[in-house]
Amino acid sequence: MKKLLFVIMMIAAMVAFAKKGDQITMVGSTTVLPIAQATAEAFMEMNPDMNISVRGGGSGVGVAGIIAGTCDIGNASRHIKNKELLQAKQNGVEAYENVVANDGIAVIVHKSNPVKDLTIDQLQKIYTGEIMNWKEVGGPSMPIVLVSRDVSSGTYETFETKVLKKEKLAASSLMLASNNAVATTVKDTKGAVGYVGIGYLSDNVNDVRINGITVSEKTIQDRTYPIARTLHMYTKGKPEGKVKKYIDFVLSPKGQAIVEEMGFVKVSK
Amino acid sequence: MKKTLVFALIVLAVAGLNASTKFKMELWNRWTMETVDGDIVENELAVKRGYFRLEPQFSSNIKGRFNLDFFSDDGAADGVGMKLKYAYLDFAVLPITDSKLTIGLMKTYFGTIYDWDYQVIEKDPSDKYKFVSSTDYGIGISGYFPSGFGTYNFAAYNGEGYKKTGSDINKDLNFAADVRITPMVGVTLGGSYYFMTKNNAEVDTTLAGNGPLVDNPAREQYNMFAGMGKLAFGDFSLLGQYLMKTKSLPNVDGADDINTTVMSFMPKYKINNSFDVIGRYDMYDPNTDNDDDAYNVLVVGLNYNVVRDSKNNPTLFFQLNYETTMYEDSDKDPVNQIMLQMRWIFSEVLGS
Repeated sequence: MKKLLFVIMMIAAMVAFAKKGDQITMVGSTTVLPIAQATAEAFMEMNPDMNISVRGGGSGVGVAGIIAGTCDIGNASRHIKNKELLQAKQNGVEAYENVVANDGIAVIVHKSNPVKDLTIDQLQKIYTGEIMNWKEVGGPSMPIVLVSRDVSSGTYETFETKVLKKEKLAASSLMLASNNAVATTVKDTKGAVGYVGIGYLSDNVNDVRINGITVSEKTIQDRTYPIARTLHMYTKGKPEGKVKKYIDFVLSPKGQAIVEEMGFVKVSK
Repeated sequence: MKKTLVFALIVLAVAGLNASTKFKMELWNRWTMETVDGDIVENELAVKRGYFRLEPQFSSNIKGRFNLDFFSDDGAADGVGMKLKYAYLDFAVLPITDSKLTIGLMKTYFGTIYDWDYQVIEKDPSDKYKFVSSTDYGIGISGYFPSGFGTYNFAAYNGEGYKKTGSDINKDLNFAADVRITPMVGVTLGGSYYFMTKNNAEVDTTLAGNGPLVDNPAREQYNMFAGMGKLAFGDFSLLGQYLMKTKSLPNVDGADDINTTVMSFMPKYKINNSFDVIGRYDMYDPNTDNDDDAYNVLVVGLNYNVVRDSKNNPTLFFQLNYETTMYEDSDKDPVNQIMLQMRWIFSEVLGS
């Protein structure tokens, strides 16, 4: 009996303290997800002994993973909030921000919609329900169908900060769980307006100039495009060991080329 | 029946009126066995707590919280009870970043009572040793210092807590101030002050109840301080607290102050994402001038987190605690408790 108990305790201890080996776990932003997946694949090809697991969930999940110490890298399409930063510090974790790419949130409309320009002010009025018809912004007489990201996404939080500016999103908005879903819905709905990361722009929809500025690599990098943001991979303290090796790869010319392939904008040196 | 109807109406009203409302339910199923000198004095299965919470988001800067507290055990009249625990609105309208104004039945900002997450089954020290009630009717300002440096809370309260009854209604306002700072990663320091006057300053002492108001000699005044420190490094953390309460009778000549102190330490070690081991040691002295009224409480616990949500918050977990209370009075036998608790939480956001 004693021996059995000893064996059980030993197994429990081994499970509890088992080392993960050369494994990196990444969770978080669905916007950063394609970058994370593509760079992880390329990195694992170069380092066959490494195993990187990548999961979405949203920026909040990525930051929570770093605070709780349940992942090595927490992806976020927004900056860590003051409240989260405090939680991390109180938990003995330094949430270290690694900027890995730039992104612009493109405002998109249906291919048949002639509206090419909107101001931030007009966009705010559209998304708060004050402007409800395209004719009020120089388009045809057609009801506006609002398409938005769900409130837990980093894309929504950036849009809320830079466009809604504390005003409440119209209750009629369709809240969708991914950039792809937004792009597809706008493609299929005549009066729709939506917003997606620049990586999700395609010929299937029209992008709209904001305050007269077209979303592009140049306008995002020089910060003239008004709905731009940086994308982040948060780590527990300054990256070290295998995590540093991977982050260094993402920031290398090869990693940044992948960032561009995914439709995002590389980090300017 | 009446309670159920009121409850159902509240749920429907809040759900119907708001586009975005978070519903949350948390239940604590607990088995408790208490022994004194080898004899079993309590052996109970109960639903110690059932919290039903609604959090309506009226706009991006106005949010509410409404909490009903259910309990079903042998300590309650008829074996079951329900209380309103929270009913407040947060207004993020102040010209200070990351701050809010709170109005209603709200948290009491003293010590660690307002963010106690029951890592052990036992209550927060301020709550257990009756320094303050966990919630009270009031108005307050709370916020975060920049760069994750800490938090501040200032509030004025009714003073009788949330379990008020007719005879407990306090006409005096109470005041709380609480500041916590995290100057470096893993180190948190905090201090709170609570000023309370209890019962009305003046009473009508005539039998007919139509006499003049006179000073109430029973009026009590409390000055309370709490200091806390938390260290967190890797998988280990240690929370320490020191509480001090001075009770005075300002209207009674020659009355001595009564000083109450509590010192509490709570180490925790996270074995892995599923298991935590926790200890706690409290030293409670209700009157520092008396020699035989103090007692110490030792808790040893194991938490098993079975299910977590996407943000790693446990949503189903078991807590096994052994608690022993040892009295300064050598004539009193230690009281031992074994508690096994199953906590389960589910939530949903309805609307956009």
